[in-house]
Amino acid sequence: MSDSRPTPVTGWDAAASGSQMADDGPLGRIVRWLYLAGGGIGLLASFVLMVEKIALLADPSYVPTCSLNPVLSCGSVMATPQAAAFGVANPLLGITGFAMLVTAGIALIARFRPPQWFWLALQAGTTFGVLFVHWLIWQSLYSIGALCPYCMVVWAVTIPLFWYTTLHNLERGHLTGRPTGAVLVRFHSFVLALWFMAIIALIAVRFWDYWVTLV
Amino acid sequence: MPKEKIVAGGRAWPSTNVLLTVGIVVFAIIVLGGVLLLGGDDKPRGSSTVPSSVLVNEDSHRITEGGTEVTVVEFLDYQCPACAAYYRNITADVERDYGDRITFVVRNFPLDNHSLALPAAQAAEAAGMQGKFAEMYHALYDNYEQWAVTEDGDQLSDDEDRARAAFDAFAKEIGLDVDQLHTDMASDAVAKRIEADKVDGEKAGVTGTPTLFVNGERFTPSGETFAEVKQQFRDRLDAELAR
Repeated sequence: MSDSRPTPVTGWDAAASGSQMADDGPLGRIVRWLYLAGGGIGLLASFVLMVEKIALLADPSYVPTCSLNPVLSCGSVMATPQAAAFGVANPLLGITGFAMLVTAGIALIARFRPPQWFWLALQAGTTFGVLFVHWLIWQSLYSIGALCPYCMVVWAVTIPLFWYTTLHNLERGHLTGRPTGAVLVRFHSFVLALWFMAIIALIAVRFWDYWVTLV
Repeated sequence: MPKEKIVAGGRAWPSTNVLLTVGIVVFAIIVLGGVLLLGGDDKPRGSSTVPSSVLVNEDSHRITEGGTEVTVVEFLDYQCPACAAYYRNITADVERDYGDRITFVVRNFPLDNHSLALPAAQAAEAAGMQGKFAEMYHALYDNYEQWAVTEDGDQLSDDEDRARAAFDAFAKEIGLDVDQLHTDMASDAVAKRIEADKVDGEKAGVTGTPTLFVNGERFTPSGETFAEVKQQFRDRLDAELAR
């Protein structure tokens, strides 16, 4: 693992300076820290949701800490069939998946240089995550009609986790055998911002009647 | 293997990407904030009053008719959980305690995202054609769990057959001609009444339900709990009655 890297120079600045860049590309640093931070935030949110879910099961009259008003209400979201889409509580999937990402992030920070299949596995996991999250967004907005703050934290971290995994894999050539996606890499955060804005716009429009009452 | 050179790190800062990202975020904040803050200007709020010609028609349904000094108008959606909660916690009590002193008018404002709100409004209006509007209004809210929410009570129902069966049961209990009710529910007259209520609601600046007006002035409670809101509403009524 330490074969071709005699100098432990790390990070973005080092990468920009030359041959090091070839090691993990322009997004390598973003990806490993995102796995740690984003995965950690997602793990925490899933964990809290699971704790709330258990509290709710133990006492059906329990009001979750994130049930703030008619729109921001985890209680009503957690009680729906969509909250256990695969037969088990969704947060269990989150706890499992995000814990794996945190571990991957720490391994990468520790200079682990994974084989291609490792990246493909991350791609598969984050792709599943982002698809699932968008289905949940759809359900939350148009079927359940309420938002659950902790769930939204999960949405917010899953999208960049998927996005940067995909970009990194494209740019490294893990997916197609040769590097691609240069334009996307160049405008990585712009695309991500557009993505977030689109979802925020959907939320704003969907619950407009409620938001205007708060102003 | 020579890697393709990608300009993402170690060049002039800020990059086009950063500028675009900041640009779109600032743009979104301005649009969202602007619409939220300025968008309210086209509808009456605060102390502005809505003329009674908009709020109450000759043939608007009156749940109580206890005097003309104080008129309460509620725009409601029978399936809206907040409306049902208002009914349970506030308006049903107000009806009982103030019914002999105020006029309480209810008008339809079925929201598109409540699929059973329109059939319920039709049932109430059709009952009204047999002179039993208030009875159906009460039946719909008193038995909200039987038609508006799923059987496990977890979410809003979209089971129209179940709801219609419940409406029939209410109709029988009230003593309505059920066949006539069905005919009226599907009639143009009922559709027009509901639509007219919605149009007036929009004129009055109603965007959500329940929206209440006390003598033309929108009731905007600051209370956090139903008990507080109820107290505010009763205080408001007392103040109007004392004038």
